[in-house]
Amino acid sequence: MYFKKSIIALTGLFLCVFLIVHLSANSILVLPEDVARDMYNSYSTTLRESPLIKIVAYVLYLSIILHAIYALLITINNRKAKSKGYTMNRFKENSSWTSQNMGLLGITILIFIVVHLANFWARIKLGMGEGVDLDSKGHVDVYEVTYSLFQNGYYVIFYSLLMIPLGLHLHHGLKSAFMTLGFYHKKGLKILAKVSLVYAAIMTVGFGIIPIIVFFK
Amino acid sequence: MKVTFKIWRQENAKSKGNFQSYEVDGLTEDMSFLEALDHLNEILVGQNQKTIAYEYDCREGICGQCGVFINGRAHGPHDHMTTCQLHMRSFKEGETIMVEPWRATAFPIIKDLVVDRSAFDAIIEQGAYISAKTGTAPEANAILVGKEVADKAMDAAACIGCGACVATCKNSSASLFTSAKINHLNSLPQGEQEASKRVLEMTRQMELEGFGSCTFTGACEVECPEGISIINIAEMNARRAKAKWIG
Amino acid sequence: MLHSKIPEGSLEKKWRNYQLKSQLINPANKKKLNVIVVGSGLAGAGAASTLAELGYDVKCFCYQDSARRAHSVAAQGGINAAKNYQHDGDSVWRMFYDTLKGGDFRSREANVYRLAELSAPLIDHYVQQGVPFAREYGGVLVNRSFGGVQVQRTFYARGQTGQQLLLAAYSQLYKMKRAKKVEMFPRHEMLDLVVINGKAKGIIVRDLVTGQLKRFAADAVVLATGGYSRVFRLSTLAIGCNGSAIWKAHRRGAYFAAPSFTQIHPTALPQTSEAQSKLTLMSESLRNDGRIWVPKNKGDDRKANNIPEEERDYYLERRYPSFGNLAPRDIASRAAKERIDEGYGVGRLKNAVYLDFKHAIERFGIEIIKDRYGNLFKMYKKITGVDAYKEPMQISPAAHFSMGGLWVDYELMTTIPGLYAIGECNFSDHGANRLGANSLLQASIDGYFVLPNTINNYLADALREDHPSTEHPEFEKAEHEVSEHINTLLSVKGNKTVDHFHRELGKVMWQECAMSRNKKGLIKAVSKIKEIKDAFWAEVNVTGGHQEMNTELEKALRLADFIELGLLMCTDALEREESCGAHFREEYQTAEGEALRNDEKCSYVSAWEYQQGKFKLHKETLEFENVKPTVRSYK
Repeated sequence: MYFKKSIIALTGLFLCVFLIVHLSANSILVLPEDVARDMYNSYSTTLRESPLIKIVAYVLYLSIILHAIYALLITINNRKAKSKGYTMNRFKENSSWTSQNMGLLGITILIFIVVHLANFWARIKLGMGEGVDLDSKGHVDVYEVTYSLFQNGYYVIFYSLLMIPLGLHLHHGLKSAFMTLGFYHKKGLKILAKVSLVYAAIMTVGFGIIPIIVFFK
Repeated sequence: MKVTFKIWRQENAKSKGNFQSYEVDGLTEDMSFLEALDHLNEILVGQNQKTIAYEYDCREGICGQCGVFINGRAHGPHDHMTTCQLHMRSFKEGETIMVEPWRATAFPIIKDLVVDRSAFDAIIEQGAYISAKTGTAPEANAILVGKEVADKAMDAAACIGCGACVATCKNSSASLFTSAKINHLNSLPQGEQEASKRVLEMTRQMELEGFGSCTFTGACEVECPEGISIINIAEMNARRAKAKWIG
Repeated sequence: MLHSKIPEGSLEKKWRNYQLKSQLINPANKKKLNVIVVGSGLAGAGAASTLAELGYDVKCFCYQDSARRAHSVAAQGGINAAKNYQHDGDSVWRMFYDTLKGGDFRSREANVYRLAELSAPLIDHYVQQGVPFAREYGGVLVNRSFGGVQVQRTFYARGQTGQQLLLAAYSQLYKMKRAKKVEMFPRHEMLDLVVINGKAKGIIVRDLVTGQLKRFAADAVVLATGGYSRVFRLSTLAIGCNGSAIWKAHRRGAYFAAPSFTQIHPTALPQTSEAQSKLTLMSESLRNDGRIWVPKNKGDDRKANNIPEEERDYYLERRYPSFGNLAPRDIASRAAKERIDEGYGVGRLKNAVYLDFKHAIERFGIEIIKDRYGNLFKMYKKITGVDAYKEPMQISPAAHFSMGGLWVDYELMTTIPGLYAIGECNFSDHGANRLGANSLLQASIDGYFVLPNTINNYLADALREDHPSTEHPEFEKAEHEVSEHINTLLSVKGNKTVDHFHRELGKVMWQECAMSRNKKGLIKAVSKIKEIKDAFWAEVNVTGGHQEMNTELEKALRLADFIELGLLMCTDALEREESCGAHFREEYQTAEGEALRNDEKCSYVSAWEYQQGKFKLHKETLEFENVKPTVRSYK
């Protein structure tokens, strides 16, 4: 089990780093349209064409899959360890709701990822659904894909709202991953708790607000 | 004082249990929770009924034998307290008090509120000792242990083995219990010789006994009568990784 | 008749001489020998693990769910050893003398000397086993002082010394279980001893989960079952502590020594209600820094903090200026009782005295006091809801330790060959009063160092005998008797609970056979206990069956033995016409109210033989060759 836990922690940390890169790229979207379209499209083209990024991408897919599968396996094992629960359980008095519901939060995030991949990855990389035009410089117009998606209010709500479970998951997950991997420095853990909170807040607000800004653009 | 107890009754390991309600009068605020149950048992004897089985021994919070889930919390509503230290002054007049046994697959129910915690002994058996025979010890002060190290070892060694950590953990993880013992011995110079073997064998046994894994909810630390910190679990993980990869 | 088997030679050489002369067993033969150990505390676990290390085949029994619960776990203060680390003039001889004097010269010189002599290696042993004793910043061990002693020789691990020592012993036990040299039987209670041809050959136990009676045979049986102060019902002991194993052994022929010597601990929490099941002990180490007082005016109802300094009576400091608050337990308890009886008691039921840390906090600062006693203050708050850093604790005397127990010789063997009694369940080292921090010591020394060096002397002969079989008619008979005993209890079907009778017994014992005793009261107690016994067997109601887990039945079986034991305790107290240590007979006191010992007539250990419900007294005269018994003065 400990091996599986460590994999969950490592993949989780990798995903945390990925999110930082992802968010910095997304922040281009809030710039004025003429600048943003150009930057965003050339950035995404660079990514698609770099062989290094290709490897990173595969690591990313693998991380998400391993993170989810091992979490599932661990959860099954944990359920077995507690085959019968309590009739009355006031766990909120001894721990946070988040920490008790990482699985539920994880599933929500997984659903989000599926939708997210269908919206972008499937359309751009797999060429499924409506075709994507090129922009004036000949880059695939990913900006347009994003922009048009977020003209739909339902998607905006979906994307923004689901950043809340993501933030909660990150808040507990970041701390927890470090401890799973054996980080036990007392003062360090106190700092880590604060870092986790700030990190989770930035991710939630950052990812959550961009669709709204794009919607009102 | 009058309260209603809703208590899990189960004839034996194999039978199916259920909750039964008992309205109990004549209690006082100074009574301990267990004394209130004693009182209830005396009433049951008066009615020619079987008494409720629950565990206790020292009744001063150190032996670790008592422990039930009271109103949704391990050892009752207070943090860092054993069941025997809980007093009726913590409850309101007329309150309904839910009493359940520890729930964990590794702690099967024996009867009513009594569970089998021998899985803990099995973990201890896999290395929670220093392999030195009686009569082989060097002079005590020949082994120097700095105050900080000794204090830290003592913090971990304070575990009373009650099982509240497992009971409250949503995964029934025994990580707090196991890590406390490992860190007590492995942080002392006396324990160094067998440090790697100890951490690997004890953690392996912990998994074999059917305990779940730790997801750092922190509930165990709050329910632990000795307030043993979950940082111990992180430290155990570090020791485990080191033992596994470095040796 | 009673042969104490004290070895030859000067006091310092006795133990070595004994070891030189005792028989040895070749390792190949040791594994053919079975030893049963009943109890898993410091004595039991220490003996079981050490015997297993030596190669014997060991079975260890305890009534708790794990060996780690044994009541040694509850000792808070510490363990004494003559290490002289503090350079304050300590030595084996001084420790020997302190212990002998503390016991009011009612114990054997040779035993007590051995206790002091082996104390230093015991600390070495526990340190090696990983006990996190308190340390100085430089890494060396720390000591503190304890009652009845003027040197600092007590080693401690916060307020949880007993727990830490027990966990070390329990770990060592499980190390040997893993090595398959010890078989553990938790949740098994011994209900009878099996004696074949005059020798102890096995036990009958009840499996507390299934209720099944089981037979176990062995070449020797070791009882390590702890103290019996639950005879008072309200005591500092664990609820399950009982005298049944030693009582059954007594009924099978083992003499019971000095049963009335029970220590009343001065610093427990006072009783608050009739339903109370237990009196929580606050470590005696608190008396190092705490000052005990009562108001100078009777019935002073003011809050403690509102009573000015000049209206406080620090009665221990007043009566015993040189030891003050560190006077031995019997003296401190009796002094508290005297004040409470005179009407100076405090608290709601006026049954307590104050233990005040105000001066210590002023002198050392709150941090140092927290470091020394933090967990005790926390415990006090949990139980009483009061913050003792701000107002004084209320404490009261409570039944605690049994100095008395099965009579044993120098080898710790009882009068039944092959039956040993170690730790608190024997009468050996403490005389009429035990010094603080000596109980963990005695239990450990008996288990780790003495028994493993004496049992071979008996087993070497046992090797030549046939191995006992559980098919032997004596096993049959014993099991049948136990079964009958249980059935009789279950079939009474009266209308009173077991606890009812325990409360009755406790009241009589506490009233007449505790801190101070007198002839009239003791005679009355004997007849009252007989009445309780008759009523118990006629009116008790034990619900549930015997083929299941039945805690009510467990309690009833223990109480049935306590009642008989209580009778013997009062008989013993009546017989001893002097005051010594914990045994204070009101008829024998000085004009100032201090104990008056009678060395001419009473310098003996009483050893009682069971004869069909009657008790016959044997006396082991105590010879003092090395010290001269003096009047024990702590003034």
